[in-house]
Amino acid sequence: MSRILVAEDDPHILRLISMWLQREGHVVFEARNGLAARDLVRAEPVDILVSDINMPGMDGLALIESVIGEGCVRRGVIVLTNRWDHAEIRDRLADWGVTVLPKPFSPSRLSEVVESLAAGRPTTARMAPPPVSERGAC
Amino acid sequence: MSTQTSASTDQGLLRDLVGGLSVSGDGRTLSVGVVGSAAYASQPPGHCLDACLEGDPGAALMRGCEFLRGALRNAADVAQLCDGKCSKGFRAAAQVTSIAGSPATVVTVEGPLTGGPGRCSPVDLLGRLDDAARLVQRIGQMLEENAGFANEILQNYEQLNLIFDLTQQIANVTDVREIEKVLLERVARLLSSDAVCVVAAEGACRTYFAQPQPDGAVSRGPALNPAELAQAADFVRRTRHVRVAVVGGRQVIAAPLVRLDDKVEVVLADRSAGRGAFSAGDMMLIESVLAFGGQIISNTELHERMHRMLLEVTRALVAAIDKKDHYTSGHSERGGFLTRLTAQELGVPPAQQQTMEWAGLLHDVGKIGIPEEILCKPGKLTPEEWEVVKQHPRMGYEILQPIASLGVILDGVLYHHEYPDGSGYPEGLRGDQIPLVARIVHVVDTFDALTSTRAYRRAYSIERAIEIIRAEEGSRIDTEVAEAFFRALTRYRRENPADFAARFSIGSEKECENACA
Repeated sequence: MSRILVAEDDPHILRLISMWLQREGHVVFEARNGLAARDLVRAEPVDILVSDINMPGMDGLALIESVIGEGCVRRGVIVLTNRWDHAEIRDRLADWGVTVLPKPFSPSRLSEVVESLAAGRPTTARMAPPPVSERGAC
Repeated sequence: MSTQTSASTDQGLLRDLVGGLSVSGDGRTLSVGVVGSAAYASQPPGHCLDACLEGDPGAALMRGCEFLRGALRNAADVAQLCDGKCSKGFRAAAQVTSIAGSPATVVTVEGPLTGGPGRCSPVDLLGRLDDAARLVQRIGQMLEENAGFANEILQNYEQLNLIFDLTQQIANVTDVREIEKVLLERVARLLSSDAVCVVAAEGACRTYFAQPQPDGAVSRGPALNPAELAQAADFVRRTRHVRVAVVGGRQVIAAPLVRLDDKVEVVLADRSAGRGAFSAGDMMLIESVLAFGGQIISNTELHERMHRMLLEVTRALVAAIDKKDHYTSGHSERGGFLTRLTAQELGVPPAQQQTMEWAGLLHDVGKIGIPEEILCKPGKLTPEEWEVVKQHPRMGYEILQPIASLGVILDGVLYHHEYPDGSGYPEGLRGDQIPLVARIVHVVDTFDALTSTRAYRRAYSIERAIEIIRAEEGSRIDTEVAEAFFRALTRYRRENPADFAARFSIGSEKECENACA
């Protein structure tokens, strides 16, 4: 069982992802935008972050950038994004060691990635730590 | 903006509901709680306990807990458990209902806020209980429906995702076997099976695994003996419908994969013990996934077949042209092959390599319009005869031009005798003005001419031909293309010596027989 935060602005997709992951036995937290998600993980670290890219306020890239180096996400990050998103975004995410899954997401594939992240070593180790001043509570 | 949810989301909803039903006022409290089923056992029946606690910390707590324990132990008897026995004016009632398919007990506890004898009426209590039970049941139904919708959507997502993956795959892969592999590995994963096997019409079985197999692992498909396999496959082949059967003590799902020419293959999967039975959802999933997968495979097969046919027709055509001049027998075929090899070496995208191969194959089509006595003349041509020969690129272009789809290929045909220094024909183009395809065809054409025996000379060796071409680099030969060609040729010769020898029977006599006699 992992503690998973899902950041997604579309409430229906958010519900669906969260329902699916709960059914797989995980404890799921929901956030409707990047800022809410950041506050949530800073207050209490999670194992896995599942994030959308396009969200109002703070988008997925900014969210990942701000939390991943802080150690608030212990096991890894999964990004669910539009299949036709720009290659540069994908490259950037790949550099961060983030797993990218296309939308509409495949529930079985999502579970596979969650399981392997939960079993594997933390992916945050691959990240360069951010400047000290930006470090959060984690 | 954020809410915590957990495995108890549904229970949270119930808690809100029973909270809403609970009332407090007129010096009395009425609380409603849900206890009983395994799924909801973890929920603290807070309202009941709260009611007890608020009423009389000592006796009521004890009574309340006793009551709830009774409810958990044997729901049916609870109604009598407390009625009339609760001290200090507490009353309780319970009713068994079900939530999302599992049994649950709705309980109500009524009691005074302060001490003293209770003034509650049993009718109120039971009425309240009825309302609560009905609402809980309704909520249970809604949760069930909700879960059903979610399942449906999740399954659609799964299928949609597979369709996207396959279409994306097909954009890069035109190989039917590769598409089949992608499709069936995915099917195995969707069905939570270790492997699936495809039983071909003649009974042979191709196995695909859900997870990549380690090298050297003993591959294991569905564990079925051949007779059982044939039996399961036969039914599906006849009916063309998915079927779940128990074969040899194991659950097997079998579904049709219809290929080109209405050929039915059967996809079989089993599940190892402990992974549960195949559901109606699994049956629907495999049937629809294989239906569109089969469509994609059929289309790709059809495309491959048409392409092969077109190539064969073209080869027959150019072979007929080559026959006119025995010295150039096989020249066009080799031209196509070498053009592709060189295009590959130059990093040309695969689709364009294909087009260029066609150009290589068709470049001399115009020779059909050159009189045989000139084409096969032993010895040097007169200037007039030479002018006639120089017409063949334009003639080829004119023959092929009506075929609109040939496009770039026409460039290769029309310009394959243009030289970088501008001294070529028919238009005297220079350097980069000459399309890449034409520059490639020119190099391989020159090479093949040099390494073939002509009416007026014997064939040069490959090494000598390369020397001759190198000497003309920059003037009549494009340097970059020629060097790429040499690299590709050398590698091919090293890696495929037998094939190379068959294609290039270099140095052997090619007699000019009847046609040129």
